[in-house]
Amino acid sequence: MKVYHIVFAGLLGATALSATAVQAQDKPACTGESVTLRILRTPGNFPYPKPMEAWQKDNPCVQFEINEVPFAQLADTISVQAASSNPPDVIVYDGPNTQSYAASGILLPITKYLPKGWDDDVLPATKAEHSYNGEVYSPGIEQTTVAMYYNKKLVEAAGIKPPQTLAEAWTWPQALEAFKKCQQGPAGAATVWGLGPTRFGNGQPGLVYQDLPYQRSAGDPKADPSSSAFKTYWALSPDSKSVEGYLDTPEAVEALKFYQSLFNSEGVAPKAGIPNAFFDGKACFYIDTPAAGNALIKDPKIEWGTTPIPYFKTPVVHTGSTTFGATARSKHPEIAAKFVVDMSWGEYAYMNVSQRGNLPTLKSLFPRFAVYNQYPMKVFVDQLQSWGQPRPPGPKFAQYDKIVSEALRGVAFGGDPASLMADAEKKVQRVLDR
Amino acid sequence: MSTGEQTLTASAVTKVRPRKAATRRQKRERLVAAGFLAPFMLLLLIFQYVPLLVMARNSFYDYSLLNPAAEKFVGLRNFADMIEYEDAATSFGITFLFALGVVLFVIPVAFALALFLNSKLPARGLVRTMIMLPVVTSSVVVATMWSFLLDPSNGLINGALDAVGLARQPFLTSTGQALAALVAMTLWQQVGFGAILFLAGLQGVPAELSEAARIDGATRRQVLWNITIPLLSRTTLFVVVIMTVFSLQAFAPAFLMTQGGPQESTNLIVYHIYNTAFIMQQAGYASALSVVLLLVVLAISMIQMALLRSRWNY
Repeated sequence: MKVYHIVFAGLLGATALSATAVQAQDKPACTGESVTLRILRTPGNFPYPKPMEAWQKDNPCVQFEINEVPFAQLADTISVQAASSNPPDVIVYDGPNTQSYAASGILLPITKYLPKGWDDDVLPATKAEHSYNGEVYSPGIEQTTVAMYYNKKLVEAAGIKPPQTLAEAWTWPQALEAFKKCQQGPAGAATVWGLGPTRFGNGQPGLVYQDLPYQRSAGDPKADPSSSAFKTYWALSPDSKSVEGYLDTPEAVEALKFYQSLFNSEGVAPKAGIPNAFFDGKACFYIDTPAAGNALIKDPKIEWGTTPIPYFKTPVVHTGSTTFGATARSKHPEIAAKFVVDMSWGEYAYMNVSQRGNLPTLKSLFPRFAVYNQYPMKVFVDQLQSWGQPRPPGPKFAQYDKIVSEALRGVAFGGDPASLMADAEKKVQRVLDR
Repeated sequence: MSTGEQTLTASAVTKVRPRKAATRRQKRERLVAAGFLAPFMLLLLIFQYVPLLVMARNSFYDYSLLNPAAEKFVGLRNFADMIEYEDAATSFGITFLFALGVVLFVIPVAFALALFLNSKLPARGLVRTMIMLPVVTSSVVVATMWSFLLDPSNGLINGALDAVGLARQPFLTSTGQALAALVAMTLWQQVGFGAILFLAGLQGVPAELSEAARIDGATRRQVLWNITIPLLSRTTLFVVVIMTVFSLQAFAPAFLMTQGGPQESTNLIVYHIYNTAFIMQQAGYASALSVVLLLVVLAISMIQMALLRSRWNY
């Protein structure tokens, strides 16, 4: 054997040994009982691998088993798995369902696990959305709301200058004029639409998250609580027990007639989804969350800007995002709760939020996201702080969401707003009374 | 001795005759048969009959899937709710209309296609492949494809209508057209299956009967009307029952194309049951709807069998 063979073998051995040492240093050995946390989440959602790996260094005895289902099947899957004999330890779910899952005993209250200062640091909308009967059930990780994006090239070519601050925000009739001016092709069958379709669901209109604010913005939260203006704004009684007289008020019906005209008589918005319409230059304006802006920052397919969501009387945007919680019937509730709280606090929270680009739920994290301190993304932060409201909260939100979304879709497709909303009220009330 | 007495005596003899003991071979064959049947029977029992019993039991309870432990016995309230509220009647009505539309269109079109495939006309192989392709294509793919075709703004069908100067149609977004659009899609998808069943029936009809009729001077139409169609009554019954049951169980079109809308105009009963259980979280009420659907499907199938009972054998 030649000398250089021996040297080479020695070097290889030394490298292997040092690598083992580094690995051992990176992953401390577990000295106690090993625990596997089962997590149910949607693809591409938090908790993300980087913060999980970092957390495992401090908790070497915890392993993860991750199951993923598409967002559209998430609620169904939780319905089935939560009641099984072996439920997941941690579930990622749509934020507005917190009260429903808390009332059903699916989620574990985590108030006692929250770190000091959490109450002062968390956004009030997040805390309200994830609390039920005085207990916090989810710490929240990210917060979203929607704003109106626009295609700079198309909008400037049409001679439109959309407002960039909340103080100058358009009313809906002003926005309609802009849609009409920018749209190309015939009404109802445009080649470039004034207002592009949503990317949520199957692209059809009617989602509570995006479209209920049309009628809510025709109300007034400061009006007499027995007035129709007050009820229009809140769209559900403060105790979440009644919806009668909240959805079919004269103000709501008037706003919905305008909403209907966008898809019918004015023909500036399509009734069916067109995948990537805005990103492909087939829509002048488009409503979406900050995630779309962050995607465009990373991959600027088009020149774009944002403008606040238009309104009738009182500006309002819906808040809420996916969130996560520990399950009440977890076999390791303490560890699951610790994991959930840790992931939403401090550096772990920063790592999770920065991955997707939605807004943080902790005020202390906002300065670390420079992108949100300047236009165009600042519009989201300003809206969230000044106009943000959770979707009408309550333990029957999922049912409310389904029934009201169907009614709004019916309006968009040409149905009578007054009778459709009256019918929706009856159906929601039946659920609330049951 | 009269015939009646002979029959009586014969039956008396039969009664007193001791039952012949099974041979070892017969016993072994029975055991083998039971062995082959057992796995399927076990699966049938576990995945069909036990869930049916559980469903029947659940229909008397009020509970949510999120918290089944908190179930409450409500007696017949779920069934009373079906009468008190309009949702069940509306959904069953829409489903019957859908099934009627599918059966009324599929049967004649499938039969016509089968006649064509049974003839010696050219391109039979190509047509057979063409009509069978939708049958073997996933319902999800078919529904997605038809959603694009029927798009009110940019769909191919509206493009074609526009090109020939006709007005664009809303299709899936119209309360008046959405159900008809689903029937058209189902017809396109299922007609191949019906045609293949009819073709099998046609190939089993004895050729000598039509030949004899033709020699006796019957026209082709008379042969079709008086010989072929009556002799195909068993096949027709089978296709009608299968298509009815398929239609009553349809879920994918409502789920993927319309989500039951607009304004519940396509809220087919199975989709309504799914919504009631998983979205509205009224699993007991959904079970009651399922029990009624099961009974309705059984009743309709039995009525169809009675009405279309075959009067000819060959």
